[in-house]
Amino acid sequence: MEGEEHLSSSVCKDIPNLLSSFVDTFVDFSVSGLFLPPPPPSPVPLPTRLPSPQRLVAIGDLHGDLEKSKQALRLAGLIDAADRYIGGSATVVQVGDVLDRGDEELKILYFLEKLKREAARSGGRIITMHGNHEIMNVEGDFRFATKSGVEEFRAWWEWFRVGNEIKSLCHGLEKPNDPMRGVPSSFRGVRKEFHDGFRARVAALRPNGPIAKRFLSQNVTVLVVGDSIFVHGGLLPQHTSYGLEKINEEVRDWVKGSTGHFSPDYCRTADGLVWVRKFSRGNEQECDCSALEHVLATVPGAKRMVMGHTIQEVGINSVCDDRAIRIDVGLSKGCGDGLPEVLEISGKSGLKILTANPLYQNKGNAATVDVGKEQGLGLLLGEHGGPRQVEVQA
Amino acid sequence: MGQIESAEAVAEPQTTANDTSKPTSLESALAEAAEYGSQHTESVEEMAQKALECPCIADLRTGPCDSQFSEAFLCFLKSTSEEKGSDCVHPFVALQSCIKANPDAFSNDIVRKEESNELGPALEYKIHPPKWSKESRSSKSRL
Repeated sequence: MEGEEHLSSSVCKDIPNLLSSFVDTFVDFSVSGLFLPPPPPSPVPLPTRLPSPQRLVAIGDLHGDLEKSKQALRLAGLIDAADRYIGGSATVVQVGDVLDRGDEELKILYFLEKLKREAARSGGRIITMHGNHEIMNVEGDFRFATKSGVEEFRAWWEWFRVGNEIKSLCHGLEKPNDPMRGVPSSFRGVRKEFHDGFRARVAALRPNGPIAKRFLSQNVTVLVVGDSIFVHGGLLPQHTSYGLEKINEEVRDWVKGSTGHFSPDYCRTADGLVWVRKFSRGNEQECDCSALEHVLATVPGAKRMVMGHTIQEVGINSVCDDRAIRIDVGLSKGCGDGLPEVLEISGKSGLKILTANPLYQNKGNAATVDVGKEQGLGLLLGEHGGPRQVEVQA
Repeated sequence: MGQIESAEAVAEPQTTANDTSKPTSLESALAEAAEYGSQHTESVEEMAQKALECPCIADLRTGPCDSQFSEAFLCFLKSTSEEKGSDCVHPFVALQSCIKANPDAFSNDIVRKEESNELGPALEYKIHPPKWSKESRSSKSRL
């Protein structure tokens, strides 16, 4: 019976930790409807430069539209009908702007987290990036948030607070930090009924807020994979000379709360990495191809820059001899409701657009390559007509 | 001097590292039981029941959502699925409903006190709210 007693006391020793993971699981489920697979055993360091994978998929701005985000992922053969990751060893890059304009921002953050964990187990990798809207929201600029988006954060806080209350009732657990500490109880000029929602949004997304720390601190601001540079807005020579690794680390440290309220200058000014439109706006004639050439030359081995940020009404397109690739198709219902398209870069077949656009199914002269996934078609880049963009503020 | 400093910096993580990743015994017992299948179900059940008697849980087993909490927690402890807890949707939903109906089910004095204590000097935290959230200025005269 000695064994039994030993068992009983050791059972209780484990309970605080088990209660803590129970609460986290319950809160996650209540907020997102998801049960996440276990996280990787050790935290993955931020990637800045990665070798070329066999298959690289790039996805543009998502802006709170979960359903269209899933359509894009399905089009690329990355998730199945049950939303499970089936992309194998692919590397997937989402170029930022998950937040604002749509109603399911948290649900997308959670969904991407689930896919990151599933992908890691099958040798794949999903890398998320900062767009200007991530930076804005961490700084408390909520001008492009939707009413339902703010409500989603209010509901998040309800569950998160209950979770903390449950944890604080267990004596063996350290008292959880209060994420509302320092958050104003009201906002001047804002209608009363929205105060709770904005308080929750501030608490969640400000530097070191639970959502910022958990999800956004994994984002990179600039990424080089093989011969492609990924950046939300655009890279300029001064960014390269400042140091790409340094940029990624500084922005991450800011999101984690160690450098105050405002992001580094290169995220805030018009020529910041997440704001530049120099290479994503206008058609071939309007793009300064020699300036682009000059930036590419600052990053050894770089042949092209892949960008989001500016909605491309014609879909994914390229200018400057496939050196500037613009992948923001404005898929969110909150801005454009564009047809989902993603970019595929593979060792063998080069650059390809995977599109949901039915127009291209019968287009004789388009170089279509059936990728065998749902309604998806492969189009070799450059087969689109002249690019036209929609200018959207921020 | 630089050399000495860097040597210290390298040595430091080794001395501060402490092993918290070891699987805890209840967890490993449950995992083991899961692996060996149903013949061990009884002992898992017994173990999980014992867990409910632990002091950490005592205060959680009072109040309006006591039974919903116990069931959800018990199910989580016994969960053997890859995404731990994903086989507990029903008890989780029941706990959710109970909390929605009783928002203060788990609130306690300590937490409330902290909240009412809210940050003294009205910290200037500026947000830029969206247009739809702003108070209307309809009272303004147009003349």
